[in-house]
Amino acid sequence: MMLTNAKKIKFVPAAEQLREKSAHLISDFLKRKTPDFIKEHAQILDDYFFESFENSMIGPKMGMEKNPYAIIALGGYGRQEQFIHSDVDLLFLFEKYVPDEASDLIQEVVYPLWDIGLEVGYATRSLKECVKLAGKDLEVLTSVLDARLICGMSYLYSALMEQLRDKIARKRSRKIIKKLIENSRLRHEVFGDSAFLLEPNLKEGQGGLRDYHTMLWITKLNSNLRQFRDFEYYGFLSHDEFQSLKKALHFIGSVRNCLHHLSDRKCDQLYFEYQIKMAHALKFETANGQQPVEIFLGKLHGHMEFLKQQHLMLIYELGLSKNLRSKGKIAGPNGVAGLEITENGMLNFVSSESILDDPSLLMKIFEESAALNIPLSAEAKRLIREFSYLVDEEFSSSAKQLESFERILVKPISTFNVLNEMLNTGFLIRFIPDFKDISNRIQYDEYHLYPVDRHLLRTVQYIKVFGTSEGKSKYPLCNDLYKGLKKRSLLLWAALLHDIGKGKTGVSHSISGAEIAGEILKKKGYGAEDIETVSFLIKEHLLLVKTATRRDLNDEETAVSCARKIKDVEQLKMLYLLTVADCMATGPKAWSDWTAALLRDLFFKISKILEKGELASREAVEAIEKKKKEVLGFARPRYAKDAIETLFGFMSPRYLLYIPSASIMEHIGLYNNLESGAFVWNVAKTFDSNTRTVTICAKDRPGLFSKIAGTFTLNGLDILDAQIFTWRNNIAVDIFEVTPPVDQIFEEERWQKAKMQLQEALSGGLDLKKALKEKISVYRPEKRPVNGRPHQINVDNESSSFFTIIEVFTHDFPGLLFMITDAIFRCGLDIWVAKIATKVDQVVDVFYVRDFDGQKVDTPEQEKMIKNTVEEILPGFSS
Amino acid sequence: MKKVEAIIKPFKLDDVKEALNEIGIQGMTISEVKGYGRQKGHKEIYRGAEYVVDFIPKIKIEIIVQSERVKEVMETIQKAAYTGKIGDGKIFILPMEEVIRVRTGEKGEDAI
Repeated sequence: MMLTNAKKIKFVPAAEQLREKSAHLISDFLKRKTPDFIKEHAQILDDYFFESFENSMIGPKMGMEKNPYAIIALGGYGRQEQFIHSDVDLLFLFEKYVPDEASDLIQEVVYPLWDIGLEVGYATRSLKECVKLAGKDLEVLTSVLDARLICGMSYLYSALMEQLRDKIARKRSRKIIKKLIENSRLRHEVFGDSAFLLEPNLKEGQGGLRDYHTMLWITKLNSNLRQFRDFEYYGFLSHDEFQSLKKALHFIGSVRNCLHHLSDRKCDQLYFEYQIKMAHALKFETANGQQPVEIFLGKLHGHMEFLKQQHLMLIYELGLSKNLRSKGKIAGPNGVAGLEITENGMLNFVSSESILDDPSLLMKIFEESAALNIPLSAEAKRLIREFSYLVDEEFSSSAKQLESFERILVKPISTFNVLNEMLNTGFLIRFIPDFKDISNRIQYDEYHLYPVDRHLLRTVQYIKVFGTSEGKSKYPLCNDLYKGLKKRSLLLWAALLHDIGKGKTGVSHSISGAEIAGEILKKKGYGAEDIETVSFLIKEHLLLVKTATRRDLNDEETAVSCARKIKDVEQLKMLYLLTVADCMATGPKAWSDWTAALLRDLFFKISKILEKGELASREAVEAIEKKKKEVLGFARPRYAKDAIETLFGFMSPRYLLYIPSASIMEHIGLYNNLESGAFVWNVAKTFDSNTRTVTICAKDRPGLFSKIAGTFTLNGLDILDAQIFTWRNNIAVDIFEVTPPVDQIFEEERWQKAKMQLQEALSGGLDLKKALKEKISVYRPEKRPVNGRPHQINVDNESSSFFTIIEVFTHDFPGLLFMITDAIFRCGLDIWVAKIATKVDQVVDVFYVRDFDGQKVDTPEQEKMIKNTVEEILPGFSS
Repeated sequence: MKKVEAIIKPFKLDDVKEALNEIGIQGMTISEVKGYGRQKGHKEIYRGAEYVVDFIPKIKIEIIVQSERVKEVMETIQKAAYTGKIGDGKIFILPMEEVIRVRTGEKGEDAI
């Protein structure tokens, strides 16, 4: 049967009315005038259907007496939760069978809605069909669970709900609920991915509206709950919980609605591009050092987290969660009076009076939960929230409570994250009030996935993972380090508090955090040394990552300066573990193989330096600081001080450690005279006039040392001692102690000659090897002395991360040093540091070398080659 | 148009970025990469356990430039990334066929 145009005209106004009313409602919403938008939106849709129903031409034709029908709202529409772009889900329910005219009815009622741009889904079913389908298809079942009669024969609606209850809910609720829980779990897994934490999905995400729907469906199947307010009415939620849930749903709903409007479609995922606009639309403003979008996201996160918790709690309560397989084997909580295990296998207080009698139960229940590895019941969490006011200053500073808390903090990982529950129930904020400033505090970037408070707990969690068998296989180095720590609790405290300074604006959070943590631990009665350790860890928790990514790791100075800050190996280990856990707990962009490699490299380097001790011990640090002050004290004009500070930056760590301040001043003078020359030197008589000290400042280059040594030998100057240093700006500072020239009357000329010869050797005009050949063959003994010790050459690649160390023990002869250094040069090696000492005729020469590419020489072949090359030129080795 | 790809040491990123900004290059793409050349990896022994580093972390920079600017850009990067020690990296120049700006549809040098 065709509708005539006249009839069509009759219905268009209804749809038009709907469109107008809708537009009004939406604009009121945007002006924040409709707190109950989703309900009112549903109502104006209902109005449309009433009118359609009353004015229907087809309806009567179908013979209401013969084939009664009802128009029923399903899903969100049924729940009266109609967002701006929500679909309209309808059911045309017929008593006995679906007549042919049904399609005409649809055309009459539904088509106009399509014409005005609404997404309408409809089903036409008989009562029997509907029930059958609901029994087979979970999606149909859940949409029908939310069914609501709009208009038509009400007894049909009642019959439908009754049959649902009798035929499906009563018989198979357990199985269905299990499926719903499983779906929820999968959904949480998918939407728990990091991408979704930054751009939350308001419907499917963790703590999204689906969690609330699931709660409704489960409770409807399990009991006689009909609508939302029954949650409180039937005691599923306390009054406070119900109110909080209502607020959460309202806020999340507003955000979703706003999102529909901003995106102009049924968008449920809060993409970045909408976040700032949303904060503006919802009238958030800058406060407490936070941008509007951060406050907005913090609030959203808080509400979604609450919804998520309620959702999980309901599932636990039903005792259908997977985790609660182990019902029978749990013994009572070791005689802790006031606590009990419920029949669902969860921890609870015996009564609220028991808490008032013994407030320490509030802490004890967490301890038991961690020790026995069972969760707190919903009731217990409620009570903790209600009675958390008993956690006053006395409680928080009691030694007993502190010990208890520490036990919880240090306890290896359990299935149930006890610290999380402390945070959720508000207990943690009472026990450590500074947590309030960082509660739900969001950092708006693509880097930080979690609000600060959650991030801190995650960091603690990651550190504890290091200690497990999972930690052993995934993070072997961290596992090794964590197991070897002497005071784990200090590290865990540092982890728990390391970002607590983020609630303060304007200051570096590392520094303010260290102060706050110091105060907290002082109140809790910790000793000065422990407080210092934790403060240090917090103050420097960014040091390792910053250094690893921003400084040259192949420069010894980098590792040394870190080592000097960290001062001992135990602190280094803790700092490393804290750094790794912090990165992991921040989000995937903060931690990758790439960063891990750099960090580990730095760790090994610093570790070696601290273990060797000399360069970075506390005494070394103090001595160097003192020296620097003295040197600056020698300098007069202002500009020189700046220049000197710059030079300090170039001086290598060993140089600063071993050279006295007066000499440093002298060397700076030499350096300032160097300019474009190849070298400058200074000859001084030692106090007893028996030897001369020659200080050379030169532009470093491979072979420099051997050329100097050769020149001295050529001029008959025996080298007794030598110290070779290389500054980081490629300047060599070499200090030689030599015998004076034989001819002391014309000493000055002698030195002049030597100087010129060195210049020639360096410019290539003088072949030292050739010139020395005769001289050396005269002096070099053919055989080893009979009672002398044999010579020894060590190539050490383990003591230093930066240099290969060559040690030569042998007998002295004139020209020896030239021969050795020349041999080293011929191996393609560059000498960075050297220490030459002669005792009678025994020589101990130590050379810190690298190849011309700046790398260590650590393959077995290379080590052998070095040994052989040096050995060739030593006494007793026939050439 | 050419594409300039540079592999540099991680801690040199800020220096190179600033140097490029100074000559008017504003856009670039950065990736964290690993590799080795003559700067070989090494082995650390810590408390009896061996930790091998085969691939050394580096930063890769990619920029598109007009052909006339290639020399200038290359020299700028080289100077800023230089330390003189092994592992300083390399710079590659590749031909670039076409560039489009997604937002406006501009092509060619207008899109750089």
